[in-house]
Amino acid sequence: MKSIVIVNYGMGNIYSLSSAIRFLGYEPILSSEERDILEADYLFLPGVGSFYNAMKKIVSIGLDQILKIAVYDKKIPLLGICLGMQLLAQRGTEDGESEGLGFIEGSVERFQQIDKKIKIPHIGFSPTTITKDDKIFEGIDKKADFYYNHSYRVICPEEYVIATAINGEPFVAAIKKDNVYGTQFHPELSQSNGLRLIKNFLKLKDAV
Amino acid sequence: MPYKRLIFILLHDSGKFVLSRNFRLQRVGDLNWLIKNYNFSTISYSIDELIVLDVTRQNRSIQSFSNILKAVIDNVFVPVCAGGGIESIDDARVLLNSGADKIVVNSLLYTDDKKIMELSKNFGRQCIVASIDFKLNDNGVYEVFYKNGQLSAGISLSEAIKKAINSGAGEILINSMDRDGTGYGYALEVLDGIDFEMEVPLIISGGAGKAEHLIEGLKNEMIDAVATANLLNFIGNGLPLARKKIIESGVELAHWNSDEFEKLKQLREK
Repeated sequence: MKSIVIVNYGMGNIYSLSSAIRFLGYEPILSSEERDILEADYLFLPGVGSFYNAMKKIVSIGLDQILKIAVYDKKIPLLGICLGMQLLAQRGTEDGESEGLGFIEGSVERFQQIDKKIKIPHIGFSPTTITKDDKIFEGIDKKADFYYNHSYRVICPEEYVIATAINGEPFVAAIKKDNVYGTQFHPELSQSNGLRLIKNFLKLKDAV
Repeated sequence: MPYKRLIFILLHDSGKFVLSRNFRLQRVGDLNWLIKNYNFSTISYSIDELIVLDVTRQNRSIQSFSNILKAVIDNVFVPVCAGGGIESIDDARVLLNSGADKIVVNSLLYTDDKKIMELSKNFGRQCIVASIDFKLNDNGVYEVFYKNGQLSAGISLSEAIKKAINSGAGEILINSMDRDGTGYGYALEVLDGIDFEMEVPLIISGGAGKAEHLIEGLKNEMIDAVATANLLNFIGNGLPLARKKIIESGVELAHWNSDEFEKLKQLREK
């Protein structure tokens, strides 16, 4: 049985993510313990709230260091979801500047209301374009709908971008760098498209 | 840009699910009834979002409501908003830990709006939905009510919307008490009185009785989502049919393949 850990630092709506993983036939562990995280086959980093508060929590319990070992030394696949993806970047600007986990070069900035028709937060299912083939998108159409709920978005070098969507302007919908993945959308709230993506993520190591 | 959304609202009162008509509640069945009569996880394939509200008027317990919430959304993979009587960060956290992705606040806007800002700072603006109940008063003003429609807030609908946005809400849900449960269609005329640009999404509720009402709402350019709590009209085959009619009318909604759920179940690792 795969060891799947949802990194629990008190700021994620982990319930829906756990039930999605369970629906797929796995039993996730909710933990912030070093041992669980370093022994995991797959890691999820969820998140709801502000970048600043989340990083403060993460640093206060030493999770940033544990995650760095997990990602760099243990090469465990990590999927950051929504705020969890934003935390992968180097720098956040929500509630003042703060440092992120830094797995991916880039920063997190608020959407700009360049047009009155643009709603912030960006809420709902949006058409998402897969810009780079990746195992995580197997069986999912090149243009698929995923659910978003956010006011901030990641700005990062194009080489890490694997999907984009539009809210007034194009923005980064999913990123990948080595074993680190992030989705701005919530796969666990995106009906069957999202379940398929989670399933694909949990099979990444099967192929190796 | 996001698609417009079709939202179903489940109203819960003391362990039962209820129908509301002009805010008078009629119990229709408990959780077993809901599960037995309507396969709720299948119904969720036809909606973009689910709102579960606790409208219990006496001895409200966020704990027992959160247990109901967990049971309702078992195998439901759409965003869930929950609310009813949220007064503190702890209340909100109970619901967020029980499967809610967003929380709905209502009375707090008039009793302690600073609390909404606190919730917004804690969980992010995108997590806070402000629900505003209103009815047309004798002076022709859309007057806002709270505490299950029992008390007047003494302000108009537009004022309440501004107040909610300024208090940190990331989404506004407006509900016409006059139309509530009537099936006469949404009170779209109230939108004429909103003379400012809203940066946050707007959800309309109250009055939808058939698919045509949902379509009217979705075709209105001020509206981002339509909601209905009309359990009997839309549950069963109602929602799948309504979704089909909406799409046929030319309104584009999000797509997914419902057959995938079964396929993914088959692929479960033993």
